[in-house]
Amino acid sequence: MSAQPGERDYDQAGGTAEPALPASPPVQNPLTLVMKIRSPEDYQQLNEMLLQIYSRPPTENDITVALNKIATVHFARFVFLENNTKLAVITTFDHDFERYIADFVDEIGHVFDMLLSHMEGAPPLPVRDHRQEFLEYVREHDMPAIQPFYSAYPTLTVLDILDAADPVSDVG
Amino acid sequence: MAELDLDDIQGLILRGYKMLTARHLILRIDDRDGFKSVLRGLATEEPGTGPSITVAADWNEKPPIGKKPAHCVNIGLTFQGLKALGVPKLESFPVDFVEGAVARAGKVGDTGPNAPENWKGELASPAVHVLLSVSAPDEAELDAVTGELRGLIADRGAATELSCHDGRGLEGDVAHFGYKDGLSQPTIEGAPMAGLVDPLSLAPAGQFVLGHPRIQHPDSFYPVPEPDQLGRNGSYAAFRILEQDVAGFERFLRESAPRVGMSEEMLAAKLCGRWRNGVPVVMSPETDSPDPPIPDDQLNNFDYVARDGGHGYDDRKGHRCPVGSHIRRGWPRSHRVAGGGGHRHRLVRRGLPYGPKYDPAAPDDRPERGLLGLFIGASLVDQFEFLMSEWVNDGIFAAGLGRTKDPILGSNDPADSRFVMPARDGPPAEITGFSQFVTTRGGAYCFLPSITALSYLAELPPA
Repeated sequence: MSAQPGERDYDQAGGTAEPALPASPPVQNPLTLVMKIRSPEDYQQLNEMLLQIYSRPPTENDITVALNKIATVHFARFVFLENNTKLAVITTFDHDFERYIADFVDEIGHVFDMLLSHMEGAPPLPVRDHRQEFLEYVREHDMPAIQPFYSAYPTLTVLDILDAADPVSDVG
Repeated sequence: MAELDLDDIQGLILRGYKMLTARHLILRIDDRDGFKSVLRGLATEEPGTGPSITVAADWNEKPPIGKKPAHCVNIGLTFQGLKALGVPKLESFPVDFVEGAVARAGKVGDTGPNAPENWKGELASPAVHVLLSVSAPDEAELDAVTGELRGLIADRGAATELSCHDGRGLEGDVAHFGYKDGLSQPTIEGAPMAGLVDPLSLAPAGQFVLGHPRIQHPDSFYPVPEPDQLGRNGSYAAFRILEQDVAGFERFLRESAPRVGMSEEMLAAKLCGRWRNGVPVVMSPETDSPDPPIPDDQLNNFDYVARDGGHGYDDRKGHRCPVGSHIRRGWPRSHRVAGGGGHRHRLVRRGLPYGPKYDPAAPDDRPERGLLGLFIGASLVDQFEFLMSEWVNDGIFAAGLGRTKDPILGSNDPADSRFVMPARDGPPAEITGFSQFVTTRGGAYCFLPSITALSYLAELPPA
């Protein structure tokens, strides 16, 4: 892998004008969003909906399409917890959720509308019209991780990694 | 297609005036009813009421027919200004505007030397209520119109002028750093063409005018402040006074260019993303005078990714134009960015230089010079603040930039500043250790009310 600018202060620490190993925390952050499902019927509907979305090819999977476009989420998974009474959305994403909230609600707000319509204490919907309440709901339901958060590549964003894996150089 | 009432929307939101001079008066409202009377006059075109607010209507269809107005007048009100006017339901305004430019300085890089405690013209004061802006083709007209406005304000004891900021275009439409300016503006659906043609999709009107559909969803709107006649057809602007250290920038070019084996002009072009004559680096990476030449009306007709039908260059790696260059950060076009990009974070930019032109023969003579600008959009947080925090003063929005900042506009610190110029063959050229060249000397977040809203404000119940 050729040296990309984004990784230089990581793998060339101690170079002439480079800062030392990053003192700042990783560019990535964890989200462990745990939401309480309203009823067993709601669980059934949620489960069917998620299975239905994930049975589609990636180009027709709303979640995959949106996350590909947003390009700040490294990993994302849905896990039912506690005998299917809760749904966890577990992700690792770049930077600051609030800064990109407009992009999130535009691109994937409709998926959250669907999920949240089955949750107890959901914020007002649709989320794109209630951005602040959605942010507050996510903050309240994000289970804090024990710090520090570990990253194998603390300076690299989703876009850095995709770029490094992209063999296209320049054909312009 | 958006139906825009161009007679109701302030002109500066949707069209560039291309006038040589501008004056921005910063006012504190002293007498609510007196100032409402001033607003009443500004909202009407009836003779005898003094200057009127310039609207966005096509000047070819507006009396006097076929003529550009002799001058333009526009107005912005801060949250404190709306409060001073006694506007009810202020809670319907968004928190970014309510808090204002001083409280949110840290979000846009206005820290250290850029911090509000160093701002001029009392712009850091909560007494900043009104930004009254006049544009004119020459100083005589500018003086005449501002004189008339000052007289109307003084007669009513309506407001105190806290400061006055004059801008004047430089020969060749360049900014002080020597780059041709004002070439790229969003092309807004339903609005008069404000800039040069580009190959991109039209920007939805709702990104720039409140009460119209914004991006993605036909039923997605930015919240319109209440009541509707106050909020609809309004917009927001970040007014900025940006001091430019031209001597420092020229010295930096002189010292850095040999280190990377480039001419000063080549380095200047890589830093900006345009050659100083306006030719985009992505269209012409080696020279500012390509053969055949690029016509002036084509200087914005490009993209950083390949496009069907042309006008695109597959420059994902920034081999032609560095991804971290000034114009590529300010508007990455179709380049892949965090969040998905598009028109969500775009700005309308209106600005003029202030202060005398830089004289290379007298580099140590440093009168204050810079740019007076208005950065306009329907959401300060999604547009002006996002652009400043994510695209100008950070780099992780795009691959390969790390935590770097805009080399020209960013609040760079020599301790960690870095600008990378990827090369097709071989390692990237890199410049480090440079200072900031632009210092924020003032700012104000303003609501730009519609004509309907000005009439509404003028008719609020007496104090």
